[in-house]
Amino acid sequence: MRYISVLIAAIFAHNIALRYFLGWCPLVSQSKKLSSAWGMGVAVTLVMTITSAVNWPVYNYLLVPYGLEYLQYIAFIIVIASTVQVLEMVIERFFPSLYTTMGVFLPLITVNCAILGVSLFMILRDYTLLTGIVFALGSGIGWSVAIVSLASIREKLRFADVPKPLQGPGITMLIAGIMAFAFLGFSGMVGIK
Amino acid sequence: MNRLERLMSDISSYTEDNPYLQHITEVIDTVRSIVFEPGVSADKSPFLRDYIEIKRYMFAVVLAVAPAALASIYFYGWRALAMIVVSYVAGGIAEVTFTLIRKEEITEGFLVTGILFPLTLPPNTPLWMVAVGIIVGVILGKEVFGGTGYNIFNPALVGRVFLTTTFPVATSSEWLIPMTGGWAGFKQFSVDTVTSATPLGVFANSGTLAPLRDLFFGNIPGCLGESSALLVLAGGIFMILARIIDWRVPVSYLGSVFLYSALGTYLWPNQVAPPVFQLLAGGLLFGAIYMATDPVSSPTTKEAKWVYGVFLGVMTVSIRAFSGYPEGVTYSILLMNMFAPLFDEMVMTFRYGPIQKPYK
Repeated sequence: MRYISVLIAAIFAHNIALRYFLGWCPLVSQSKKLSSAWGMGVAVTLVMTITSAVNWPVYNYLLVPYGLEYLQYIAFIIVIASTVQVLEMVIERFFPSLYTTMGVFLPLITVNCAILGVSLFMILRDYTLLTGIVFALGSGIGWSVAIVSLASIREKLRFADVPKPLQGPGITMLIAGIMAFAFLGFSGMVGIK
Repeated sequence: MNRLERLMSDISSYTEDNPYLQHITEVIDTVRSIVFEPGVSADKSPFLRDYIEIKRYMFAVVLAVAPAALASIYFYGWRALAMIVVSYVAGGIAEVTFTLIRKEEITEGFLVTGILFPLTLPPNTPLWMVAVGIIVGVILGKEVFGGTGYNIFNPALVGRVFLTTTFPVATSSEWLIPMTGGWAGFKQFSVDTVTSATPLGVFANSGTLAPLRDLFFGNIPGCLGESSALLVLAGGIFMILARIIDWRVPVSYLGSVFLYSALGTYLWPNQVAPPVFQLLAGGLLFGAIYMATDPVSSPTTKEAKWVYGVFLGVMTVSIRAFSGYPEGVTYSILLMNMFAPLFDEMVMTFRYGPIQKPYK
């Protein structure tokens, strides 16, 4: 039951993109096309879940026993970077079309603050390993929900007469802002702890 | 009448020639087309014979919402009318300024937003707040997306959610008790009997239900337009019969609220109110009939409309029962506006297979 409530909270009430405003760089730049938004959502969900599953033992069994908690940022970044590197090779080998659509943004997941943020939240909130993985999975799904709906809105707006200074990232930020307003409705719905 | 028409066309042609006045030609033309027929007719086929064009469409919605607007004056005094006027003036200035700068045509879509927005506010909202809300709604909710026909989100609700987030105390902590009997609000400017909660708020705090008869006829505190379920329903039936709105969205929305709350009240009786109370209380009917059916921000395909309505109902009851807010209609409609293009896309893909898009 607790896993379900953490999962739902991570998708809706504590959506990583629309409540904490993390991971906005790929959210804005990769939401031009629905297909690449799907790809990016899947990639981020995958990386989030894997890295938090690795980061939890790294923190609790490697850093804590030696009193090295202050190294968590470096340790997490290294884990994330190596995971992304492996994932990139796998995607290039087996899904070449997805690889070309994502281009430079797959390596950029390395420095995606949402990925690091999820690992840090997991430590901050004292999750157990399984809860941490469920939370990361939910955050990834929530982020994917945000980018996929944003991409479908942008595809619909393709023929809209948006004022020139706002075209591209400007209007995307505005749409995402209104989406964040709508997500406020979930606040207080499910506890994250 | 003829003389007036000639005068208007003189003014219009005069402003077009005058270098200083030509910026306001659009304003003159809009007034002219509202008062008279539009001065343009198609000269190339195909010709479509239909009496509903955007202007008539918008006027029909205003006509359908008029009973609820009049009732708001009856319940809360002439201050309700003042709020509507402020909303029209402030929003109108924002809209006209924007379109003049961008040199576009002024469309009549604003007439609907301008009256729906104040009706979704609590009756004692300060007038300047009404102005701020409608300006935000018109500019950030509609004009930046390219004006009428492109607004992904319902502009009135963007304005409302902006107000409730920015001024939470002023817009949700104090409610007025409506007046009834005799001429009630028609005799005075404002009502000053304050209460702390709407029926939904009372249910969330103490679990007591307001009598259904009051909910139906309108003797309950709440936002301006939502007091009387009867008048909102009458407007909705008029619009469905006149084919102004599609019946699928309100029917699936209200139906899913009914089913979900019937099940929910059985499973969690302390959190989920019984179905008939859910249907009549708060802004549900108003939102389902006037807001969720907005032709631009709701899905286009029939199947997507059903999905949209069902999700609206699920969201509304969930927010009402489990979140920190007693009322969830505004948020759930905005949320589903956000998914409407995706629903359409999925229905199209399901029906025709993956679509090859002509653009990159």
